[in-house]
Amino acid sequence: MTAYVLRRLWQIIPTIAGVILLIFFLFNWVGGDPAMVLAGKISNPEQIANIRRQLGIDEPYWYQLWVFVKQVFTFDFGRSWSTNEEVSRILITRVGPTLTIMIPVLIITTSLAVVFSIMVAYVRGTLTDRMIMIVCTVAMSVSFLVYIIVFQWLFGFILGWFPVQGWSESFGKNLGYYAPLPIMLAVFVGLAPELRLYRSFFLDEINQDYVRTARAKGVPEKSVMLKHVLRNAMIPILTNVGIALPGIFVGSFLLEVFFSIPGLGREIITAVNRSDFPVIKAVTVYLAVITMFINLLVDVMYKVVDPRVSFK
Amino acid sequence: MRIPRFLAIAAATLLVACATLPAAAQKKVLHIAFRVAETGFDPQRVFDRYSVGVCENIFEGLLTYDYLARPARLVPLVAETIPEPEEGATRYTFRIKPGIFFTDDPAFKGAKRELVARDFEYMVKRFRDPKNRSPYEWLFENRIVGLDELTEKAKKSGQFDYDAPVAGLEVRGKYVISFKLKAPDYNFLYTLAMPNVAPMPREVVEAYAADTHGHPVGTGPFILKDWVRRSKIVLERNPDHRGYELDTRYADPSDPWDRKVMDDLRGKRLPALDRVEISIIEEDQPRYLAFVNKEHDILDETPFSFIDQVLPNGKLSKAMAKEHMNVFRELQPEITYDVFNVEPKLASGQENPVGGYSPERVALRRAMILAHDRDQEISVIRKNQALPAQTPVPPGVVGYDTSLHSTEQDPDPARAKALLDMFGYMDRDGDGWRERPDGTPLVIQYKYNVGGDSRQLAELWVKSMTAVGIHLEATAVQFADLLNDKRVGNFEMAASAWIADYPDAQNFLQLLYGPNTNQSNESRFKLAEYDRLYEKSLGVPDSPERNQLYREMDRLILAYAPWRLGVHRIFNHLQYPWVKGYKKHPILYTNFKYLDLDVAAQHLAMK
Amino acid sequence: MSAVLRNPPLPPMQESPGLWALAWRRMRQDTVGMVSLVIVAIFLAMMAGSYTGLIAKDWNKEKGVSYANPAFLAGAENLEARSMAAKDATAKAPPVDLSDIDPLAPRYKEWEERAARIAVTETKRAEVLPFGGDKWGRDVLQKAIKGSQISIFVGLSAALLATFIGTMLGAAAGYWGGWANDVLEWVYNVFTSIPYILLILAFAAVATATGKFGKGIVPIVLILSLTGWTGIYRLMRAEYIKHSNREYVKAAQAIGASNWSRMFIHILPNVSHVALVQLSQHVVGFIKAEVILSFLGFGVPVDMVSWGTMLAEAQNELVIGKWWQLFAAGASMAILVTAFSLLTDSMRDALDPKLK
Repeated sequence: MTAYVLRRLWQIIPTIAGVILLIFFLFNWVGGDPAMVLAGKISNPEQIANIRRQLGIDEPYWYQLWVFVKQVFTFDFGRSWSTNEEVSRILITRVGPTLTIMIPVLIITTSLAVVFSIMVAYVRGTLTDRMIMIVCTVAMSVSFLVYIIVFQWLFGFILGWFPVQGWSESFGKNLGYYAPLPIMLAVFVGLAPELRLYRSFFLDEINQDYVRTARAKGVPEKSVMLKHVLRNAMIPILTNVGIALPGIFVGSFLLEVFFSIPGLGREIITAVNRSDFPVIKAVTVYLAVITMFINLLVDVMYKVVDPRVSFK
Repeated sequence: MRIPRFLAIAAATLLVACATLPAAAQKKVLHIAFRVAETGFDPQRVFDRYSVGVCENIFEGLLTYDYLARPARLVPLVAETIPEPEEGATRYTFRIKPGIFFTDDPAFKGAKRELVARDFEYMVKRFRDPKNRSPYEWLFENRIVGLDELTEKAKKSGQFDYDAPVAGLEVRGKYVISFKLKAPDYNFLYTLAMPNVAPMPREVVEAYAADTHGHPVGTGPFILKDWVRRSKIVLERNPDHRGYELDTRYADPSDPWDRKVMDDLRGKRLPALDRVEISIIEEDQPRYLAFVNKEHDILDETPFSFIDQVLPNGKLSKAMAKEHMNVFRELQPEITYDVFNVEPKLASGQENPVGGYSPERVALRRAMILAHDRDQEISVIRKNQALPAQTPVPPGVVGYDTSLHSTEQDPDPARAKALLDMFGYMDRDGDGWRERPDGTPLVIQYKYNVGGDSRQLAELWVKSMTAVGIHLEATAVQFADLLNDKRVGNFEMAASAWIADYPDAQNFLQLLYGPNTNQSNESRFKLAEYDRLYEKSLGVPDSPERNQLYREMDRLILAYAPWRLGVHRIFNHLQYPWVKGYKKHPILYTNFKYLDLDVAAQHLAMK
Repeated sequence: MSAVLRNPPLPPMQESPGLWALAWRRMRQDTVGMVSLVIVAIFLAMMAGSYTGLIAKDWNKEKGVSYANPAFLAGAENLEARSMAAKDATAKAPPVDLSDIDPLAPRYKEWEERAARIAVTETKRAEVLPFGGDKWGRDVLQKAIKGSQISIFVGLSAALLATFIGTMLGAAAGYWGGWANDVLEWVYNVFTSIPYILLILAFAAVATATGKFGKGIVPIVLILSLTGWTGIYRLMRAEYIKHSNREYVKAAQAIGASNWSRMFIHILPNVSHVALVQLSQHVVGFIKAEVILSFLGFGVPVDMVSWGTMLAEAQNELVIGKWWQLFAAGASMAILVTAFSLLTDSMRDALDPKLK
């Protein structure tokens, strides 16, 4: 076990190196020149050169890459090129709002999906089951952009149940007042695919021998579902949640843009538009590290939950 | 199923909010949205309108513009008077009002800090410190005697010597500063009225050197209370501000807006607002709905796509009129246009089909302009909220030529086709596209910005050119890349826009001055006659003589067509009736200093 | 030796046509699947029709007034069109004379004569279009049809390319193992560690900045497939690991089949159903992703239309009561995506009945 964890930790290094290389290549090498954005309306080539020198983008590529690597190891990405704000501060202040939306989304979606999918699995093969599955498929097929536009207009404006947009400094007000509509939207969009997926997990289990055995022994269907099937289906479900977990740190930029939520997703878009490389670098590395650690954690938990899983 | 519970929580939160209402009811809080994110509030280091707009409220320069006067008129702010130009318009001397203090800050170590002439000397130097990479460095470039030398020295030594005296920045005693210019300049006062040409004290800059954007300290009527970057900006009234009353000297009593502002603010001590909360909302739909939902008090720059809901047939919609909303229509001092690269070769060395000054190339550009359907640009894209530009200079700017009108920029496909035929741009192989006079294929590249309404403009270009048989390919390019391509001349055609830094035609006409190539002259237009006229106009104050020079320049632009002149957009600013004292200024972006709120009406309407 | 060669070592080879025939038989009993198949077929036919110009050929023609009403709302007020018609005809000053400086001045007269000979016809614009008009007055229905063509084409080709990349790399990693596997796993880890939106933006930025991704819809297809192959790779790799140890592959090796032929002639047909299901899932995913790309401004070129560009264009139209473009694009996309997903479901069920 320890050896496994150590080996996995060791593997993080080449992956981070790859992430660094790829992001560096895509943004720094072929991406836009931030000096132009910063130079203002009128500037001469000499001033542009001065900006480039200050940002360090006139250095040879290998040197810039070396700076990037150093930044990753010291976890100090310096300051944003466009606003001079400390990059670490940007990350810290933006994660909160993103999580305020995404953690409830994850919890609500997962619990609703589990409850509904076990209900659907219970009536598998009936018309109800088929209808619900088709409704889910239809719900999944509409573009997220359309949902946002229509829901914001309908619930925020026409019905007036929620504020159209906004964010405050108080966590309570955010969660209770501003977040519900975006959360509802994300749940609505996320529920259908999860429901379909979890249903298939339950069906997988229902067809297993142990279930047949239990039934043969006369265990009532309800307790078969809740005791045996649910427990075993939780493993793929948890894996699935584990896979989704890193995503909650990115959030949805569409939600954040339309509902004025100062989260990370929106920050990524702004940073890319402004060619704000320090921010892009930091966000990427930070999310890559989170992703890898969460994946490791999930695998380890997997082992703890299900001793049958072997580590290779 | 979830909704009722959310509603319950929302209701509970509202109840809590209501319980604290009596105390809050007294406070005048204005809610408004910006449609683009700010960058920061170090006046010498910002250039976007939104950041500068916030700086207007925190800082005070020597001069500003009168709130009501149109066309824009300079008035003193911390200077006692507007000085007369001396020594043939090469010297301007200011006396600063004594007894103006910066807002308290730990950097002052508990002492009151008075605004003095040295602060202005320091501020101008900051523009030229290479470390600051000021986007407005050009304002003081090659202008002040002795300053360029100091910058050169700083470039070599890596350290800008702020203590070195500069002959052109003469501080006399505590309150007098005199600027000596290298050449006669009648627009210098405009420079000093720009909201970002305002001092931040040296102690503050040095104390917060790492993040000057986040620690603005000025003498202005508001202070930065809270700042969630790129999301929310909260300004609060500066309790120590000396205050002022509305200046009505230059108001136009026949203008209903001026009358209303005067009525609203009569005898009132300004600033009246206690707090201004600015949200950044990039998308049109939420920004618009937030206003209609009364989450905001003002909607600046109503998105064009909603205009016909707001202003059907040019009048406020019934629903909005019932709310007694007001709409301020503003012709902004700006122009949208398309640049042709007029150099025969692109920066990449590729041949440029639209470049050159030969009749054949001029004819191609002129024909493309005539073929472009500007009427649709105005009606479909701008929803009739725009005027067709006749010259690069927008109305409301000193030197604007009211009588100049040209048909060379109006859509006329017949004349376009005739011109193309005449110069041999004909479809010889029958593929539907015209070839060049020498028979080689003609494909023109048009670059536009990713995002915004630029896609529609590109759509219109492609459509208009297809109609006359010109093969135009439009490519979306990232903002930074497009800036770069335009700066170095790596494009054939591209979309562009310019908004006045100061209300003088020179600010626009410099965009085609030959020596400004690689700087602001994106079209790389180099015409000896134009440059001669431009240089001559610099030494002449605003006068019929200068207007004549401007007209000559305008005619050259029309004849050689380095630009397709687009439109001057009209912006519609909406306010609820409880917003008092509203008028939009063409140069200053915000007007919080002059606004008042009828809090009772505001709260009543929110219920 | 020759005896061994003549012996047909191919029970798995027979299984593979059997698998498909069986799957088809199962599939035909699935009503939902068959209905979906028909809908998808209709969309594909529509795509072919609009590609060849049989239908929606003049989607780009401005036949109606701005935001022309749909036929079923014929009488409704159209403020947009009205305000455009009301153009003020203020008298203008005479145009400025350029003749003294104009390089074209010597040919003014000829120009005038030629221009007079060119007739410009103004078409009359309809007040009402079958399903309404967009802001330019183009028929929304035709736009949606043309948009389907581009969107489905983008989705299909990006999915094909992604499946190809994923299968090739998955096969290499799974079959060879060893360092090939290590390298590819590394690439996979790198790609999946970067948030999808950043990856998309990065590739899009490269595509627009360099222009190296080609023209037209090629950049979008490349952006989508180069960022979207990872899931397929993972599955195909697992399949190849499983199959490369199976007896039939060993048998093929015994008869001297090359690595290449074992990978692609022996194993591939046996795992292709996995690839097929992945392919169709990705078609749906990419059609949706195209909407996001368009929203960000990296959509198809301006002389084309896709569901994504329509939705991006229509995002402000709901508020002003011109809901038809949003609806036309949203609904046709929803119908196709639903049908495609249901088809994928029944295909999976048919191919792999264990799952049901």
